[in-house]
Amino acid sequence: MAQVDPLTLSTVWHSFQNICKEMRHVLDRTCQNYLIAQLHDLSVGIWDAKGRTVSIPIGLSVQYMGGKLAVEYVLEKFKGNLNPGDVILVNDPYHGYCCHLPDWGFYRPIFYQGELLFWTLCRAHQMDTGGAFPGGYFPNGYDIHAEGLAIPGIKVMEADREREDVMELILNNVRWPQGTRIDNYAQIAAVRLCEQRIVALLDKYGKQTVLACVEEMMNRTERAVRTTIAKIPDGTYFGEAATDDDGTELDVPVWVRVEVCVKDDTLTFDFSKSDKQRKGFVNSIYNSTYANALMGAFMFMDPDLGEFHNEGSIRPITVVAPPGLVVSAQYPATVGASPVSVGSQTLQAVMSAMSKAMPDHAITSWGMRNGHYIFGIDPRSAERYVTTTFDMDGGTGAVSGYDGHEGPCGMGSLGTVNKGNVEELEMRFPWTYKRWEFVADSAGSGKWRGGCGMHWEVRNDGGEAGVATGSSDGEIVRGPGALGGEPTRNNRGFLIREAEQSVVRGHRLYQLKPGDTLLKLTGGGAGVGNPAERDPQDVLWDVLNEYVSVEKAREIYSVAIDPLARRVIEDETRRLRSR
Amino acid sequence: MKRVTIDVGGTFTDCLVLDEGGDIHAFKSPTTPDDPTVGFTDVLDKAAHHFGLKLPQFLSDPGLLIAHGTTLSTNALLTGKIAKVGLLATEGFRDTLQIRRGYKNVNTTRFNLFVPPYRPLVPRYLRLGIRERTHYTGEVSIPLHEEDVLRAVSRLKDEKVEAVAVCFLHSYLNPLNERRALEICRAELKGAYVTASHEVLPVFREFERFSTTVVSAAVGPITEKYLKTLRSKLGDLNFKGTLYMVQGGGMVQSVEESARRAVSLICSGPAAAPSGAIRLGQSIDTDNLFSVDMGGTSYDVCLIRNGVIPTTDMNWVGEELVAMKLVDVPSVGAGGGSIAWINSLGLIEVGPQSAGADPGPACYGRGGSEPATTDADLVLGFLPADYFLGGEMVLSEDLARKAIGKVAEPLGLDIPTAAYTIFTTVNSVMADKMTEISTKRGYDIRDFALVVGGGAGPLHGGHVAELLGIPKVIIPRFAATYSAFGMLNMEVGRDFARSIISRRSLIDLARVNRLFDEMEHEGRQVLGELGIAAEGIVLKRSIEMRYVGQFHEVLVTDVPLGHIGAEELESIVQAFHRRHKELYTFEMPGREVEFLNACVKATARREALPLAKLARATNGADACLKRRRPMLWDPAVGYEDTAVYDGERLGAGHRISGPAVIEERATTVVVPAAYECSVDDVKNYILNRR
Repeated sequence: MAQVDPLTLSTVWHSFQNICKEMRHVLDRTCQNYLIAQLHDLSVGIWDAKGRTVSIPIGLSVQYMGGKLAVEYVLEKFKGNLNPGDVILVNDPYHGYCCHLPDWGFYRPIFYQGELLFWTLCRAHQMDTGGAFPGGYFPNGYDIHAEGLAIPGIKVMEADREREDVMELILNNVRWPQGTRIDNYAQIAAVRLCEQRIVALLDKYGKQTVLACVEEMMNRTERAVRTTIAKIPDGTYFGEAATDDDGTELDVPVWVRVEVCVKDDTLTFDFSKSDKQRKGFVNSIYNSTYANALMGAFMFMDPDLGEFHNEGSIRPITVVAPPGLVVSAQYPATVGASPVSVGSQTLQAVMSAMSKAMPDHAITSWGMRNGHYIFGIDPRSAERYVTTTFDMDGGTGAVSGYDGHEGPCGMGSLGTVNKGNVEELEMRFPWTYKRWEFVADSAGSGKWRGGCGMHWEVRNDGGEAGVATGSSDGEIVRGPGALGGEPTRNNRGFLIREAEQSVVRGHRLYQLKPGDTLLKLTGGGAGVGNPAERDPQDVLWDVLNEYVSVEKAREIYSVAIDPLARRVIEDETRRLRSR
Repeated sequence: MKRVTIDVGGTFTDCLVLDEGGDIHAFKSPTTPDDPTVGFTDVLDKAAHHFGLKLPQFLSDPGLLIAHGTTLSTNALLTGKIAKVGLLATEGFRDTLQIRRGYKNVNTTRFNLFVPPYRPLVPRYLRLGIRERTHYTGEVSIPLHEEDVLRAVSRLKDEKVEAVAVCFLHSYLNPLNERRALEICRAELKGAYVTASHEVLPVFREFERFSTTVVSAAVGPITEKYLKTLRSKLGDLNFKGTLYMVQGGGMVQSVEESARRAVSLICSGPAAAPSGAIRLGQSIDTDNLFSVDMGGTSYDVCLIRNGVIPTTDMNWVGEELVAMKLVDVPSVGAGGGSIAWINSLGLIEVGPQSAGADPGPACYGRGGSEPATTDADLVLGFLPADYFLGGEMVLSEDLARKAIGKVAEPLGLDIPTAAYTIFTTVNSVMADKMTEISTKRGYDIRDFALVVGGGAGPLHGGHVAELLGIPKVIIPRFAATYSAFGMLNMEVGRDFARSIISRRSLIDLARVNRLFDEMEHEGRQVLGELGIAAEGIVLKRSIEMRYVGQFHEVLVTDVPLGHIGAEELESIVQAFHRRHKELYTFEMPGREVEFLNACVKATARREALPLAKLARATNGADACLKRRRPMLWDPAVGYEDTAVYDGERLGAGHRISGPAVIEERATTVVVPAAYECSVDDVKNYILNRR
């Protein structure tokens, strides 16, 4: 293998990262689906001809961090039958390692002078994938087939020509074929752009040099990751987290448990003590668990490595999950809610365990998801619509040294998810926003507190509508804090019909009438450290801004505040804190 | 009649004077941060002196035009030296500003969670809810509760706020409630800077509109005060000409208008450069240009196609979003002061940390010890140790070598190879940024000529062009005062926008025509106030459109003037499909399209800047050979003895083959072997790929 100089290595490496960013840009500007274009529910990456991970700077962990298993599947399936200009579509968890059915992945083999050298994948959450209800996050499907159309890896393009009959069959099985088609075109445009860029890179530096760079890239991240791990004290660290229920057997929390074993410069994540595979839709396939464990581990590495993680980062890490658990579900288990429920818990459990191993680098749970899909008819156009959102989700968890952030949400996306604008949403969907603001005392307390939760209230101005709350969680359970910090606060949901108010729970289906109001009071992120150690001046600021009430400042933070004079009552605070 | 431009930067205040004969004269004075008007009059005093005049005499010419750009408001925003602002928001929505659509710290990788949370310009206790509501149709569903406004005003008075922003939902469509609240605030809060979202940016999407409005309020008082001081000072100096302010949107505007919409001065400096690039492009007869400006800490890039200066409404200034159309000048942290370091992967990186102007690169000998781009330039032999700023500062090669040793040693490289690696890495960072930008727009970078400005630009420009395969490079004589040169070329005018928001099948053409009429009327009025006659006003229309369901708009510029009927509508829709395909490789002709914002750009008609032509050189370029010195062009070959030309003596028509270096007082031009440099008749250095 050719030796590469530091300069070429650096240039080639940055090029791979940039190519992914360019792919994301294409999707960002052209997709019509709210989830992709606004919420960034998408992932792009590059793998080599053997399926080794080359570049994964942008995406949601479950969609692509385990991409190597998915690429290996496609390679095996199409052995001897791969040609330039192919595009392969996959969404089946059990034939292609996709986390759940709405996340359609378009794969393109990248050939150079007749030889397969790389793969690229662009996966994004479609507005619909068939199944009993729109959106993919509905409970009580009988099996995976009830959750929607399962595509086991088929060529949708050959020699860069669309296989029109195949696409027609696929799109005839989704609810918004026109919109889905735009998004599919955008995804295909992205993987083609990737090919052009990689071919140009190979032209410029030569095959040998680029491939040598790829080896070196992997070796370097591997060294850097091993160096960090070697500094963690050897031992076994435990973490656990639960989702409210599986949507079928109600109010029985489902647990993910992990033992992180640190030995020299290796990490093993052992999920064997997790609950068994469930009847309900929270089951996660091994590939998703593997991806979340990696993502969790990466957050504890040097942030410099951030966007440069690749195969090398994965080599020192082993993920163990014997088949048949809720973290390693087997056919024909339903998996619809798993990116949120059980997926988030996998991340939370890993972070909780790692925070014990690295207390100076503790990371805590973000506000739990409180999403839903609403589907109905928009009276203005008489067309059917489906809408989902992250708007109401609470802020991020605290870390050692910093409070959580108030706006960002979606721990699985690490905050790449964006929230909407009321003015755009009201124009687009028949719903009126009544209130959307922070709630006092809604965040996990601590020396460093979590970001706040929200009061989010909307009125249905459309006709009857269905609500699937499959992407909600955290009404019974709470995401772990660290070092004595409080866990995430619970989410609560209500349906207000005329003067009646009833509870809306996660993992359920509800029917709405015109004029109904949906109210969500969400919990914020978790805290780090003992709240009684928080700087009293910071508590005063929190009270002044109504993030924390005077009562809770006293009760939880042991700080006495005179709200009118806007000052800390020093002697009283000393007394409270010396108890 | 003279034209003057004054660019107040962080370190220097630059001034260019275009005299009656088309000659340009450059002047420089230190910026005086406590009161920038001092540096402003200092530099004018130098200019007056040059023409043998006292300043009041110089300023008394009624035809004198001064275009003025300033980083005042940008810096205020970046350093947090802003006004105490209060916010009145629709009740229930006072946190929109802080939720900010979920953005985390905008310049940090998502894997880095160890960053402080965002703190908005207006803390929560100064954000007050007001009972009122306008529906998305424009209908007022909850009338303004004036008693809430009065209560809020009294609270903000107690808090001694210096500025107030009024931000209500859907006010872009019907500003009734917002306008009334604004009137009350203006009446009750005398002395405070009061503004409202429908005045600042009347387009839909509340977070973007509110954020821009709050920025305008936050920099309002300081901007207003500065402009007032400047005007009174100029008045005392017998100024009889016209003063224009350079706007971030790429045009110049009156002082009053700039004070009213203070946010319009954000990014006022970099926004000027592209106008200059277009003028320079005319000397090689092209209007497809990449304008780049490499300063001490950043590299600003602007891609100009068909002579159109691009604008964007996603402008992050620090952690604040300014969503009004500003010249799209993306920036990357690469400049002469950028520091080289080795990351935990063992890769060499340059920037974004910079040694800045103080202490500056190690070779300045002012205590800097980290290796900077300029240190590498010196070690490679490109930069003259004895002729930096015409010899005003002597550079130390020893200190440069010592600093570079910090990265050379861990990488196992010798000092020259490490310097070469730094040089090429910073060039790659700049080249990558340019590739990213051209991809976003769907263009092939090789179809563009590179126009290079900035102190460090001419030294690196040739190599960057070579990396990207760009055939032509223009390096102006005024590269070091590139923004000030741009200001000489800027148009007088303003952008307007109104939201249409309708799909094609439901479009109300009467309303569309009315919105255009309104904006055009306002445009004529604004320019009329500046004394521009109706026949001298140029109006350009554009519409932001998308396929129904999409979230991002495409700006369609093929929009005819005059009445828009069914036929014109169809041609606009066709133009949209074409543009979508051009940008994103596909179109969907059968799909319903949606009209979002209607835009009008009103400008004063004007001729291209007349520049004095040099006489053709009668001697050969050899006669201008200054010296020879060893330079490292290729580490495999080692240092090669290379010709250095005296730029002050070169004349029109001279040709120099690379590898070579041209030394001017304020700048050093590096001509790589792949290029030949010719000097044109206005003294631009044109590099042509061989």
